Amino acid sequence: MDTYRYAQSQALFDRAVKVIPCGVPGHMSPAVNIPPSAYPIYAARSEGARFWDVDGNEFIDYMCGYGPMILGYGNPVVDEAAQRQSWEADLTMCASPKMVELAEFLVDMVGSMAWAFFAKNGGDVTNYATMVARSATGRKKMVAIKGGYHGVAPWMQALGHPGVLAEDHAHTLRIPWNDVGAFEQVIAEHPGDVAGFIATPYHVPTFYDSELPEAGYWQKIEALCRKEGIVLILDDIRHGFRLNMQGSHVHYGFTPDLVCYCKALANGYPISALMGTDTMKNEAAKVFYTGSYWYQAMPMAAALACLGELKRLEAPEWLLKQGGNLFGKMETLAAGYGFHLKVTGELSMPNVRLTDDPSGMLHQAWCAECTKRGVFLASHHNWFVSTAHDEEVVARTLEICDEAFQVIKEAAAQGRQAS
Amino acid sequence: MEYQRVKANLNLHAVLRNLETLVACDDKAAELIKSWEVTLQFSVLRGPALYLEFQNGRCRAGEGVHHAPDVRLFFLSARHLNRMMDGKASPIPLKGFTRLSFLTKEFPKLTDRLEYFLKPDEALLADDAFCEINTRLNLGVAAYAVRELATTDSMGRLNAASMPEGTLSIRVLPNGPSVSIVKENGGYAVGKPNPENPMAVMSFRDMGVANDLMNGKCDAFAALAKGDVSMKGKIPMIEAVNLLMDRIPHYLG
Repeated sequence: MDTYRYAQSQALFDRAVKVIPCGVPGHMSPAVNIPPSAYPIYAARSEGARFWDVDGNEFIDYMCGYGPMILGYGNPVVDEAAQRQSWEADLTMCASPKMVELAEFLVDMVGSMAWAFFAKNGGDVTNYATMVARSATGRKKMVAIKGGYHGVAPWMQALGHPGVLAEDHAHTLRIPWNDVGAFEQVIAEHPGDVAGFIATPYHVPTFYDSELPEAGYWQKIEALCRKEGIVLILDDIRHGFRLNMQGSHVHYGFTPDLVCYCKALANGYPISALMGTDTMKNEAAKVFYTGSYWYQAMPMAAALACLGELKRLEAPEWLLKQGGNLFGKMETLAAGYGFHLKVTGELSMPNVRLTDDPSGMLHQAWCAECTKRGVFLASHHNWFVSTAHDEEVVARTLEICDEAFQVIKEAAAQGRQAS
Repeated sequence: MEYQRVKANLNLHAVLRNLETLVACDDKAAELIKSWEVTLQFSVLRGPALYLEFQNGRCRAGEGVHHAPDVRLFFLSARHLNRMMDGKASPIPLKGFTRLSFLTKEFPKLTDRLEYFLKPDEALLADDAFCEINTRLNLGVAAYAVRELATTDSMGRLNAASMPEGTLSIRVLPNGPSVSIVKENGGYAVGKPNPENPMAVMSFRDMGVANDLMNGKCDAFAALAKGDVSMKGKIPMIEAVNLLMDRIPHYLG
């Protein structure tokens, strides 16, 4: 098939670089796609599991807007609830009843959590969680996992990145994932000064394979936190409601003190939540934390509708099963061409890569060839499955993946690399 | 203290050693040294050492102490060397007094030529020939500076720690200069140009793009997005090297 061209995207980008730093800054930057010439830059419309770029090219999206679109684009139940709320009242001079309803819904659903606090982005609530932990314990140090991502505040970004000071990291201690001994060591090195431990349910480092928790890992971390009076914070922003509607901590069998949610909460409407156990409620109340748009009712109505739909559809179970179906077939396809596709992490949001070339260039070429044919695949980030990725979508995905495997195989046979 | 030490390492191993490249790509520099038969040793007390051999119209830089230099220039401290590089201090000659005239009159002509290319103004950069030499020199400074920063700068060591092992090839297309940076067994080295089977490749579309980026005249992310700069392979290698390169102006800016 003819591969896509991106003339309109490029033309827009040429305009953008004149008035916007980087043209498109941050995680949506085309610079993160390899090569950028294989990827669209601007989307015009979206529906279900697909979006169309400004050149009219159609894509099946396995990034789901970097995670939020768990029910697919333009879900009518969610969108209708949001629109209705928007007509009634969105941002006013008072909090919305929807905030109470949403907090009650979450408290009823999420295991062991007794309250909810709402903001906009994931980083809002991971940052708030650390403030609550410090306030509750009177301690300074936060323990996080090397390669773990919790947002873009200076303490969350890697030291050495522009704008990040050594002082920003003075109280952040990074340890390897799945290493209980390392946690014991930092506790011993900072006696009585570790306020909190923050990590995702399983490790999803950019550029590397995902790593599930080893048996007993979370239980040992929890036991250490209880023994040492350390606040256990689960960053469930990316994984939340993709493994278990009661929370990923229920999936892995442990109880955090604080849990952060965002991406799948409202199917694309801007809202995040910090939830906590009863013992943390008064501590959270002490920490002043707010933002101009955090009381918007529309995303709260959307979240209620989204969570209701996810429950009704038993979405985590469906996503895990559909992921197993899709990625199992994809592995078989790859094997048919003599390639090895490695799928790590849980199947509702796995990391997928070809392991036949240690540099990763072959995998980058395959993702690019898929994208140029209509399946948007990022080469260095976990992918996401939504409930809109139905059998028709899976079948079309596999057709395109098959063609892309052919292309990279032929290129390799000719001693060159595709894309 | 660390600042002066790191800067001295960069001055010796990234900037001064670039005389080797200058002589190889600039006719005027080659003309200057064509009759030189001398080995200069630069040594900092409890610090870095570099020697420059001028022979048969070529310049070769070597790290450490030469077994029989003709001239030995000694610096009491890293700061002393850095002040010399800024034109504010003189070295202490320990050997080669008969060559004092060479040191005060001839050698500075070559270092002035290096400075001419490394600290250009806009008008000079508009000239293609100048631009090419400036790019080649900047690429050399960057490659050796990355190695030094990865080992001697505390922030640089942190950035470099996340860099996977292997070879990063940096190329100016279509047939421009190339350098490579190698991380092996936790150590860092500058490798040969255009290595085979690198783990990562960063390419500049042409000399003009490379020059603009190295002189801070364009947005690297936008250049990547537009395909003026491309990268493939192990991206964390490129990310780490870019962070290290970002620190160069902190010392040499």
